[in-house]
Amino acid sequence: MLKRRDFPMLGYGVGLRRQHYSHVLETRPRVDWFEVISENFMVAGGRALEVLEGVRASYPIAMHGVSLSIGSTDPLNRDYLRQLRSLARRFEPAWISDHLCWTGVGGRNLHDLIPLPYTDEALRHVVARIREVQDILERPLLIENVSSYMAFTESTMTEWEFISTIADEADCGILLDLNNIFVSAFNHRFDANEYIDAVPVERVVQYHLAGHSDHGTHLLDTHDHPICDEVWALYERAARRFGAVSAMVEWDDNIPEFAELARIADRARTSFDTATHTANRESSKKTGKPALPADHRA
Amino acid sequence: MSHLKKLESLLYRLITAPSGVAEGLAAERTLRAGGLDDIVLGDERLSAEARVDIYANMYFYRLLDALKQDFPATLAVLGDDNFHNLVTGYLLEHPPTEPSLYYCGRHLAAYLRDHPLREGAPFVADLAAVERAVVEVFHGPDAAALEPDSLRAIAPADWPALRLRLQPSAQILALDWRVSELLRAVEEHRDWTPAERGSHKILVWRRGTRVLYRELDQAEAEALAAVSRGATFAEICEVVAADGDEQDPVAAMNRMLARWLTDGLLVRG
Repeated sequence: MLKRRDFPMLGYGVGLRRQHYSHVLETRPRVDWFEVISENFMVAGGRALEVLEGVRASYPIAMHGVSLSIGSTDPLNRDYLRQLRSLARRFEPAWISDHLCWTGVGGRNLHDLIPLPYTDEALRHVVARIREVQDILERPLLIENVSSYMAFTESTMTEWEFISTIADEADCGILLDLNNIFVSAFNHRFDANEYIDAVPVERVVQYHLAGHSDHGTHLLDTHDHPICDEVWALYERAARRFGAVSAMVEWDDNIPEFAELARIADRARTSFDTATHTANRESSKKTGKPALPADHRA
Repeated sequence: MSHLKKLESLLYRLITAPSGVAEGLAAERTLRAGGLDDIVLGDERLSAEARVDIYANMYFYRLLDALKQDFPATLAVLGDDNFHNLVTGYLLEHPPTEPSLYYCGRHLAAYLRDHPLREGAPFVADLAAVERAVVEVFHGPDAAALEPDSLRAIAPADWPALRLRLQPSAQILALDWRVSELLRAVEEHRDWTPAERGSHKILVWRRGTRVLYRELDQAEAEALAAVSRGATFAEICEVVAADGDEQDPVAAMNRMLARWLTDGLLVRG
């Protein structure tokens, strides 16, 4: 069975984005790791792959996809999976992740993360496909919860029951996007804390931290704003429950200077320390045992 | 068809309906009496239809943004409104089928060839073709450029049978309009003027990670075509000699070879 300790604790990273390629290659800034969008590097050659070679020489990476379409009822795209496997063999990421959603059907691609109904049918479908994908990729997959703007009348379980059961039955990991939980909690009126408290601890291998935009009637997962206080609070709650988990700052539009992203990654490190030390102190008060250090950089 | 497939297919049709979800819904004949409300949860903040509409908007604008990035000069020539309308029609005819947005613009130049927008800008399809080639060359396969020293080491007797090879990412396009200056002006944020008519060939290639393009004269176009066909050096020289415009084919061949090497256009055979 997959356990988080089977994966390295990468620390606190940021998403590698084109705007920062030169800065990263020229200055090798102090950041623990980079997450890269797999599809941006599934090309024959050119600058993108040259950049990734340079980045990989100095940093651990994780590969994060947007087009696996694990929930689609189309056949799995085996060409895509072969390319993904080939990229992974070349760059040796700590893990590969993609979203718990579908992105197209009938041979057409929406280039968006469309939610699934939380039904037994969808669950069985996704579990079988994740198992097949993991066989093809020759490694475990992490699935990420998406932000969603629609939910289905036919759903028979909560989102956290859906993702947790899938992870258990497919024996895959979870990339927990705390902003996505917050966005979907607002859009569908569920309790984000309940979500955090229900996800199986051993399956959470990575967090995403990101910002969103408020449209009054709904929140949109735009990755173009700072991380809001409520999402930081969810992160601290997650830190207390899950312990040391690799975290990454995701910013895709109105992208700030790299130094700002690195500062946010450092805040994630500090917030983890604060949250877990506080939890340990409270725990030691109750048990009379000394507090454990928050050793999360192993 | 499974229930899940029916649901995904319905949502796909609604999200991609060109005039929005409402019109898409009107075209659906199989929905139950409750319509979309039977399928998607709405509330007092957002109806079921409004929720699907969020995805419909994101679908279109994500692709519009991607195409604007890949075709900045086409956008500059057509203007925002025309480009928006162009993309609306284009996505109906060529909806994305590949996992990467990289592919979404691959049919745009061909789509423009028969488009009414060409009446105002007859050169725009050629312009889009070059912009697409720039994208493809940028992501094309790598190959180490041939160093001039390695050619100098070839014995004179071996030259006639020598086969040169172009960078695998290089493209040669046949165009009816001279669009390269317009494209360069847009890239350099200068004022542009409409392209003039003129059949010619343009070379798009990559030196290192930088994409370059330039017009070819007749002799060089034919010589490069011969290189692409896998002709020997002797055969390439014959092609150049056969070009009536070249007074001194040997000197012309030497000039071309020197430039190809400087351009990083040749790779090991």
